[in-house]
Amino acid sequence: MTATEVLDPVIEALHGVLRPDQVLTGRTDRYNRARVPAPFPVHRWAERLPDLAVLPETTEEVAAVVKVANRFRIPVVPRDGGTGLTDGAVPLRGGIVVDVKRMNAVHEIDLENRTCTVGVGINMLKLNEQLAQYGLIYPDDPASYPCSLVGGRIGTSGWSLIGARYGHTRDLVLSFDHVLPTGEVMHVGDGAGGKLTKSSSGYQLKHLFMGHQGTLGIATRATLKLYPKPEAEFSPFFAFADYDSAYACVGALARAGVATFSGAVLFDEWKVAYLRRDDEAYIPQPADVRALACTVLYGYDDEVRAGGRRLLRIAREHGARYLGDEISAGDWAARHDRYATPLHGRTRSGQVVPMSWHCEDAAVNYTDLPAVAREWHAIIGELRAKTDVFDDWGMFCYTSGSTGADYLTEIDVGIWEQQLGDRAWAMWVEAKRAIAAAALRHGGSISACHGSCREGEVDLVPEELGRGFDLMLDLKRTLDPNNIMNPGKYLLDRAYPDPGATAGTGDGGTP
Amino acid sequence: MSAEPESGGAPRAARPYRYAEQHTPPPPQRASEVAITRFEHVFEVDPRLMDVWVAQQAFPNWDTLRIMHARADHLEWMHRHFAATVVPASELIAEIEAPTAD
Repeated sequence: MTATEVLDPVIEALHGVLRPDQVLTGRTDRYNRARVPAPFPVHRWAERLPDLAVLPETTEEVAAVVKVANRFRIPVVPRDGGTGLTDGAVPLRGGIVVDVKRMNAVHEIDLENRTCTVGVGINMLKLNEQLAQYGLIYPDDPASYPCSLVGGRIGTSGWSLIGARYGHTRDLVLSFDHVLPTGEVMHVGDGAGGKLTKSSSGYQLKHLFMGHQGTLGIATRATLKLYPKPEAEFSPFFAFADYDSAYACVGALARAGVATFSGAVLFDEWKVAYLRRDDEAYIPQPADVRALACTVLYGYDDEVRAGGRRLLRIAREHGARYLGDEISAGDWAARHDRYATPLHGRTRSGQVVPMSWHCEDAAVNYTDLPAVAREWHAIIGELRAKTDVFDDWGMFCYTSGSTGADYLTEIDVGIWEQQLGDRAWAMWVEAKRAIAAAALRHGGSISACHGSCREGEVDLVPEELGRGFDLMLDLKRTLDPNNIMNPGKYLLDRAYPDPGATAGTGDGGTP
Repeated sequence: MSAEPESGGAPRAARPYRYAEQHTPPPPQRASEVAITRFEHVFEVDPRLMDVWVAQQAFPNWDTLRIMHARADHLEWMHRHFAATVVPASELIAEIEAPTAD
């Protein structure tokens, strides 16, 4: 059958459950919903196209779309902000992209119980603009803060810059309405869900339906935990003459047990070298600035000042040199909005080239950070020696929790997307696999933040999860009998006896 | 708007726009091996590093400064978005380094 013969009945059925303006089949509508920030071989863009996109406005409409998809065995791919770095929102088998951006209402702000209930298409920045008039904040703060959406944070189980103080998305989302891959609607949370923060009733299902990268359904409406908007912020940046001193300092700051501690970040020598090229704060720094650390506190003014004094004493004991109020304030504010940074890299001869940003991450314990950093730089160094397509932009390590046990460890790699042919892509996939393997060898996880769906890293997920991966396959098969929900991700096609018979229009969309 | 928008004299809006003036940036000062500077706190990649793969465009002075000021405004907005005030570390460092009364 031709693509038209397959799709026309699907479109007709969708017009039975949605208005015409909610069903998009245009070329730009589809191309715009295939792109994500992580670089990829753009000459293969057509392989990632959906056949159509829909813009539902209610949970019931999402459920109706999923039922249509089951009837026609056509894939469904949820898409929120499309800011993920592991291709969760990228259709690999064509099908229907469910774009949730119209489900962006604030349904309730409960001042007494300190919660709000929202459509998952709302962005955290826009939500917080509304919450600020009540002196409240929803403190889920990814580097994509101005452009990612609550639903994507649920689907990816997002990591927050200030998670050491407030928790990450899994801690901040209390419950949500969820459309299962069969089109049934479920409310999921602790026990009865709703506005409860803790229940011991039944299995703890909330975490199962977070971080699945769209393979187990679509969240539609969520109840979130709120905090008082902080009175004060404290975000000093420190310089060090060597990596070891900065590493020791960050560890001590994170272990100090200061109640308002919201995070600490370690910048390694490669990161400082990268910043010296192009960042106005670091271009003028003296040559003996080779590593950096910062910390951030949020809370009431008096508690932030008390905690700040304690952390400054710790930093001083570790030989930290304060970089000044202007750099500290500017750099921390920029951390909330990394996706707006225009990027370029260098060829080996030093010429500037336009590059896209690829960020490889892992969860690594504090004691293993130096070894992982050495191995990762060696992997990227090998790539760099072969081609100008890749540029090592250095590493950050961010505290994940309030006790300093493990860190979101990331290496930023510039990729010259216009030159990213099949050969260079294959080299990159091999490097990603090696990066993931290094994290596992050191007792870490392939990802603290982004997920591990992409080519290269995904190969090692069964190794990381062990028997747990088999359980993932069992759950997937049970919950999604027709494999219509984001097929091709996380090696979950292995859950089905005949992968060739799973959902998909087969042509990756019609360019 | 002139290259020195905060300087005295006539209000900005009252000054005539001079095309040649706007397209004549101040002479560059070397800031590092790979960067130059023409305005305070504004750094540019050394143009010699952008003559193969990246096309440069003519940029009037006022637009350079507008972009830099807009970035500063954005960062200031982001602070206010997350907290009412920023406690400068310089204040706390002065406190902990001050000699005690006894």
